Amino acid sequence: MSRIDITLELNGSTTTMGCEPHESLRSVLRRSGLVSVRFGSGTGETGSAGVLLDGVLVSADVVLAAQAHGHAVTTVESLNVTTGDMHPIQWAFVATGAMQSGFNAPAMVLGALALIERNPDPSEDEIRDMLSGILDRETGYVKPVEAIKRAAAVMRGETPEPFGVEILDAMTDGRNGIPHDPSSPVIDVPRSYPRLVPSRDVPTMNVVGKPEVKVDAVKLAKGNPAFTDDIEIRDMLYAKVLRSPHAHARIISIDDAAARALPGVRAVIHHENIERVKYASGGQSYPNPRPHDQVSFDNKVRHVGDRVAAVAADTIEIAEDAIGLIQVEYEVLPAIFDENLAMVDGAPVIHDEDDTSDITDQQRNIVHKILAERGDVSAAFSKAPKTYEQTFRVHQVQPAPIEPHISIAWLDSDERMVIRTATQVPFHTRRMIAPLLGMPIKDIRVIKPRIGGGFGAKQEMLIEDIAAHLAIATRQPVRLELTREEEFVSSRTRHPHTITFSTAVDHDGTLLAQNMRLIGNTGPYGTHGYTVQTVAGLRGLTSYNAKNKRFDCDVVYTNIPVPGAYRGYGAPQALFALESHMEDIADDLGIDAIEFRRKNWVKVGDELDIAPHLGEQGVAEEELDEYPKVSSNGIEECMAQGQRAIQWHRRDDPGWTAPAERPHIRRGIGFAFCMHGTAIPFLDMGGCSIKINDDGSFNMLVGATDLGTGADTVLGQIAAEVLGVPLDDIKVYSSDTDMTPFDTGAYASSTTYISGTAAMKAAQAVREQIKERAAKMLGIEEPCTIELKDKRAYAPDGNSVSLEDIALDSLHLDEQHQIMGTASFVSPDCPPPFAAQFAEIEVDIDTGQITVTKLVMAVDCGVAINPVTASGQVEGGMIQALGYGHCEEYALDETGKMVNASFGPYKIYRADEMPETEVYLIQTMEDSGPFGAKAIAEIPKDGVAPAIRNALVNATGTRMHAIPFTPERVWAAMNS
Amino acid sequence: MSRTIAYHRPFTLEEAVGLLESEGEAPRVLLGGGTIVNTGAVRQEVIDLQALGLNGINDEGGSVIIGAMATLQAVADDAAVPEAVREAAKAELPSTLRTVSTVGGTVGARSGESRLLATLLAFGGEVSCVGSAGPDQMPLATWLESGSGIITSITVESGGVAATAVTGRTPADVPIVAAVAHSSVDGVSLALTGVATTPVLVDPTSPTEGLTPFADFRGSIEYRLSVAATLSARVLAEVQA
Repeated sequence: MSRIDITLELNGSTTTMGCEPHESLRSVLRRSGLVSVRFGSGTGETGSAGVLLDGVLVSADVVLAAQAHGHAVTTVESLNVTTGDMHPIQWAFVATGAMQSGFNAPAMVLGALALIERNPDPSEDEIRDMLSGILDRETGYVKPVEAIKRAAAVMRGETPEPFGVEILDAMTDGRNGIPHDPSSPVIDVPRSYPRLVPSRDVPTMNVVGKPEVKVDAVKLAKGNPAFTDDIEIRDMLYAKVLRSPHAHARIISIDDAAARALPGVRAVIHHENIERVKYASGGQSYPNPRPHDQVSFDNKVRHVGDRVAAVAADTIEIAEDAIGLIQVEYEVLPAIFDENLAMVDGAPVIHDEDDTSDITDQQRNIVHKILAERGDVSAAFSKAPKTYEQTFRVHQVQPAPIEPHISIAWLDSDERMVIRTATQVPFHTRRMIAPLLGMPIKDIRVIKPRIGGGFGAKQEMLIEDIAAHLAIATRQPVRLELTREEEFVSSRTRHPHTITFSTAVDHDGTLLAQNMRLIGNTGPYGTHGYTVQTVAGLRGLTSYNAKNKRFDCDVVYTNIPVPGAYRGYGAPQALFALESHMEDIADDLGIDAIEFRRKNWVKVGDELDIAPHLGEQGVAEEELDEYPKVSSNGIEECMAQGQRAIQWHRRDDPGWTAPAERPHIRRGIGFAFCMHGTAIPFLDMGGCSIKINDDGSFNMLVGATDLGTGADTVLGQIAAEVLGVPLDDIKVYSSDTDMTPFDTGAYASSTTYISGTAAMKAAQAVREQIKERAAKMLGIEEPCTIELKDKRAYAPDGNSVSLEDIALDSLHLDEQHQIMGTASFVSPDCPPPFAAQFAEIEVDIDTGQITVTKLVMAVDCGVAINPVTASGQVEGGMIQALGYGHCEEYALDETGKMVNASFGPYKIYRADEMPETEVYLIQTMEDSGPFGAKAIAEIPKDGVAPAIRNALVNATGTRMHAIPFTPERVWAAMNS
Repeated sequence: MSRTIAYHRPFTLEEAVGLLESEGEAPRVLLGGGTIVNTGAVRQEVIDLQALGLNGINDEGGSVIIGAMATLQAVADDAAVPEAVREAAKAELPSTLRTVSTVGGTVGARSGESRLLATLLAFGGEVSCVGSAGPDQMPLATWLESGSGIITSITVESGGVAATAVTGRTPADVPIVAAVAHSSVDGVSLALTGVATTPVLVDPTSPTEGLTPFADFRGSIEYRLSVAATLSARVLAEVQA
């Protein structure tokens, strides 16, 4: 290959650089330090590498650098001319909360720039069309569209109204439901505005509850180096993984001689030269749930895409070539993909090794048998006037963060292992990787920079061990980044389930008993296999009161790509089945579907009696003296607001459901009741450390891992509220196992509640020290009478001293002392958030095509610490949930190979095809949470699929028992 | 999968044809889009046609000549192009790929799921190309079956009435099946996607006769035939109305 010199007009300067003929424009720009041009896939459909080529937005993945020779190339760095200042488009993205992880924000900003320069007043359709090539797994595109509209207005010289929160009057008394009033006018405000219904129980606060700008917004809008791959390390090697072409095979031999002989190859590792240390890759608390059925490299492969070997080389291309030179002889074994068939006698035994313990029934591939019962289910069924049984199937999907997994590992000057990695669980990763590397935990440091989305896929020690093994083998830094195809075939997915709900009902609609039989498909490894399934049981059996409940679950090995954690963690599966089942029972009983649910759903004071018997810590066998109870519940206000927003009465209007002018279309509206959890009680733990600086600002170190959710901002707001300072005076750093306190990580809807309480307690400890110092400086005898506000400490008599003076006094002048506080928190409670999910659809009765036209979610998340980031969580979560119910799926061929391992064939929603979405935040005061907060991150994943399904019932009478609702499935169901 | 080992940017068609006919493995013509992914073991030289001036769109009165290197975005934006073709160009790919993918590249890729190809077929598309035997012109349908060489332009009728109907998983999904009907003084043309390895022109009086669709996870043979019949009836009714 001959190297080429190319000349570009790069960000306004004529630039000549060398490149290889094969190099993409993205690769060359990143090599030039323009790190805002990011990798989401090699085929360009994520838009992460969006740049302007002669002023036109293109994906730099699919443009060879040589093709750009002689052209003008613009990246977002061209806008970053002043420190601390930004372009109006960047300001608009910051002000509207348009960025969560911000991984694709630079491309969106550039696209907006090109669009507005071409058309100063773009329509929403034009904005959405521009965004169609930039995938966003986080925001639901709602706030980016708003940001671009506002930026265009500013650039036209207009002054848009400040972006804010729409405060709505409550429709209920907070406890009792009201009938839906068809004449009640819908709320007419922009979709992107959080609609907040305050609670009279919530006190007035200065920072908490306000739509504060995210603390990481500026660096994200500017595309500054912030993500794992945005650093350069001298002599870095590039790693590639050889993956199995077979779903199930034994490795007879590996010949790596040719690969090792290739110039530029520095190491080749596989099962013959890496120690066999058993582990479970799920990022979970100590002790990791069993079985520990994985090793870094095994002599057997159990799914297409499984690890076989890895190479480190001077370039990615050499590593790819070396992978192709490794000769592997396989003994191909029969494979099994269906969880129901995997348990049959004679099915292939997937884990036949003798060094994995704690598999319940190895010969029948049953990893776990989980049983929990309250009351006497059999007796209740035998006496019940009405009983029902339905079986549902939920399928395999992917979290699909736009930033793929990436890890960079190196040995530092102390010969400690440093791993900079895109992870949700840095502390778990450090602990879990230590035995694999044969290193003590103290010699391992895991750094989590900004993460381009995770959604559970990164609650896993997925690739860190490979990068670290290669770094040890080569004594050089090693970078391993998954391709998009690898992300699909080797990352983590949602567990498929077969769920059978059996329900016994009294004449009046009172639930008497529920039995949930679940067969969970955990694929080839048990990572998260126990806990996802127990959470499915928990969610399936706690939403409604029934005195008798039973969860009966088998977790089964198969040869599908590996399931693991995915936002929702068992709840979306369970609630699709449950909310479909409840709808159908109500219809059979002739009871209004909402009234049937209302009669049975849990209310304040009701026991969540099966919860302690299902959890990560295992099943409690004994009766407890006390069971957790619902302490706050805003579902009635959620119902009222949601029914008004969706105009619930239209579902009974034949003129609307069967429009005369479109004879092949039917319309419908559906509902699902949602209840989730807030953290794992007695297990999830967060830590926080805060210290004062000379100017009265604070450094706040948290182990919590903001993966784009705004967690750093929320935790900062909590501390700022306690300390009486603006959010800008709290400088948040997360997370680094050498620097920050321990935190279990970002999962289980725990960060606001658990890490937030730790932040509040740490801030309270600091506050007490400030008060003591202030009292001394002000001559006050009782420090407790001091109040902190507006960056000052006030005595009851009105005298005050600034926090800056307190800091200077403490650090430099008198009885010097570092004012600082550290706290941690673990909760005995798990207060559930509640939500009402509505969906409006159109169905083509000839083709089965469903078009989702509107989604409304009204959520009780306690007090939303930041209504903008909270509403963004719901907007993005609903759209992920829409994909789950509507169009996303793993398609495997008969050999177990995924045939749609790229975006497009694996369909996720784009900006130009979104349904209308509305989000309502219904405040309740949850006394156990920091400033009244509960969780919000996962509940948006729970109700969309059943709401669509129930809308289809309303539209056509067709009752689906499986997702996704792709056209042929719906067509077949309608014709069956 | 291939990896580019040499890049050529010819400045004349003759030079481009000469490169195509060079000894050894024929270079691949870069026509824009996401089909070049620079990984894998196969080494490939590429020819970039951007300097040949093939990106014009010209209204010839009754027909429109679209240069092979016109991007899909340029087609979507050009008022001289029939509305149905513009919409199909816009629907073909998302924004960041539409600006680098070309009409010639779309024709060259021959995707059986291409709504744009079906629309070009329905609008009487003619392909102009050049190869070792010199310039040539042929119906798009013929090119899709056996065409070769460097595509220089595609000509479509600019008059008539058109209708398009699609079925996909989501509104912007690549259609499982699409039907495009075009009615002009020459009669009615009907083209379908999703029912053969390339989009096909079918007999409007019996649209699914003789079709042998492929099946995949998005649609079985039975389903594709059913939807093809449904959508064909809809678009024909629309243009005939």
